[in-house]
Amino acid sequence: MGDVLVKALDGISFEIEEGEFVAIVGPSGSGKSTLMNILGCLDIVTDGTYKLNQKMINEYDENDLAGIRNTSIGFVFQQFNLLPSFTALENVLIPLTYARVHRKEREQTAKALLTQVGLGDRMYHKPTELSGGQQQRVSIARALANNPEIILADEPTGALDSKTGQEVLSLLSQLNQQGKTIIIITHDMAIAQHARRIIRLKDGLVESDARYEDFDV
Amino acid sequence: MFKEYFSIAWRSVTSHKIRALLTTLGVVIGVSSVILLLSLGNSAKAEAEKQIRSIGSNLIFVSVSDPIGVLPSIWMDEIKESAKIAYYSPMVQRPVSYSINGVNTEVTISGVNEDYDYVSSLTMTSGRFLNKLDIQSNYPVAVVGSKIADSLFAGADPIGKTLVINGVPFEVIGEVGARGQNFSGDNDMLVYISYDYALNLFSSRAFMTTYYITSVTEASVNTTLAKVSAYLDSVLPSNSLYRAFSQSQILGIMDTLMSLLTSLLAGIASISLLVGGIGIMNIMLVTVRERTREIGIRKALGAKRSQILLQFLIEAVIITLLGGLIGLGIAYMGAFLISALSDFKVTIGLDTVVLALLFSISIGLIFGIYPANKASLLEPVEALRYE
Ligand SMILES: Nc1ncnc2c1ncn2[C@@H]1O[C@H](COP(=O)(O)OP(=O)(O)OP(=O)(O)O)[C@@H](O)[C@H]1O
Ligand SMILES: [Mg+2]
Repeated sequence: MGDVLVKALDGISFEIEEGEFVAIVGPSGSGKSTLMNILGCLDIVTDGTYKLNQKMINEYDENDLAGIRNTSIGFVFQQFNLLPSFTALENVLIPLTYARVHRKEREQTAKALLTQVGLGDRMYHKPTELSGGQQQRVSIARALANNPEIILADEPTGALDSKTGQEVLSLLSQLNQQGKTIIIITHDMAIAQHARRIIRLKDGLVESDARYEDFDV
Repeated sequence: MFKEYFSIAWRSVTSHKIRALLTTLGVVIGVSSVILLLSLGNSAKAEAEKQIRSIGSNLIFVSVSDPIGVLPSIWMDEIKESAKIAYYSPMVQRPVSYSINGVNTEVTISGVNEDYDYVSSLTMTSGRFLNKLDIQSNYPVAVVGSKIADSLFAGADPIGKTLVINGVPFEVIGEVGARGQNFSGDNDMLVYISYDYALNLFSSRAFMTTYYITSVTEASVNTTLAKVSAYLDSVLPSNSLYRAFSQSQILGIMDTLMSLLTSLLAGIASISLLVGGIGIMNIMLVTVRERTREIGIRKALGAKRSQILLQFLIEAVIITLLGGLIGLGIAYMGAFLISALSDFKVTIGLDTVVLALLFSISIGLIFGIYPANKASLLEPVEALRYE
């Protein structure tokens, strides 16, 4: 495998402003997830630069990146990625624990967030005792734990039916209205329509980048 | 923060209870056997020392064999004078068998003098020990060990009874309290008679006399021993064999032997700790692999390398410490059983407990560091992709 060099992204250049709601679309294998991993500081570019809040991310070391992931970025995954043996509350507590937030404050924050996403009565349930939509809402609450500026969602509705998908999406829109920068990956144009900007990738290149200033939810 | 790692690790351990238990079995066996063996060794040593001490640590033994066999009393007088000896008694022993109602009983006749009860710290349960008059008058009287009454006189009071030795009737005048076993046999099956009488009775055979000598003080044992040896070197013909050693020398030899045996056994037992450690490492590697996705998630949520490392290291230490505690419990049970079922008292010292627990923690740290480090080095993207 390592013998062939795959350029998942090549010659991409764009800027995302604070408070934007961006959808990244494109066919399978076009490099969407790769882009999101770079934006989320899970991966670093092999060539080129990535600036987040005026900071050159490729010059940061692992510890700094962990810190950025912890406080500046919230991830929402297609497969939820909740820890199965932990309750909803405990899952939301994880990023707060790594941020060394004091125990009492931690619990308060996590409970408030779960209430905010409509799971105030499901805090002590484990993921297996929750529906897909509920699990995704737990993961949104977890993404919000340290009040990050950016929410990165890779196919957040991919594992949900269209109705619960819509619920999750309107939750993300709400967060955007509260000032969060939302970057959502999807290959469903109906979902991308919720965003105010659509970046279309194809074969690792930006095919189009369009803003919909007048579009409103 | 540490509390959180602990609770995460604790949770992971308790969610795989049977696995954790099986994993730590090597540590359980290792810790329990090391503790038990060390405690057993220490208790045996203490017991042996106590027994020897009760006889007296200012005691010196001088054994003289053929062709001399006996030290003339003029020599003994000179030794007593020059070497600061408090008391001494010669002792010559011969086994004699008695057939009572068809049952053969072996008794050891000990020829001693009137100071033997002092040098061997004998206590009398009835009657009296041989005195100077008995020795000088050569009257056939005997003092018996605590088991002789049962073996030869059907449990009756032996005082006043007659005991025939080599055809000579001896009158029993006293009985000695229980002395127990030692390396030379059962001290309670001894019959004490006058040394000179014993020599006459058994003169037809070659013999060896052991002189029990006590120095005036415990501190002067070594100088007394040196002086006795020097005197014997000057008077004995060069071809004669004699051996002189002190109680504390025997004590020292016993000590060394016991320590050697204890550390040998503990060494063998610690191999199971090593095997246990390798088992831990193996399971921790499996755990890390199984939880690759969890590690990916944690890293995506902001866990630093050190935080992942600590989480898995603590998990390994919890498993081994748990094994150590179970092992400790088993060792306590073993010690209790041994103490209850035998007259051997095994006590587990606090230092042994601390040592064993520190050992089990170290095993967790040593064998957990590699898997934990492996976990901490996982790339978040790769780990998240892992199914
Ligand atoms: N670890 C990897 N090793 C080699 N190639 C990879 C690796 N990860 C991704 N790729 C390649 O990079 C390209 C982009 O992959 P990426 O996962 O970003 O696509 P995507 O747009 O998210 O697709 P999908 O919609 O199916 O999720 C693909 O050609 C893929 O095969
Ligand atoms: Mg993808």
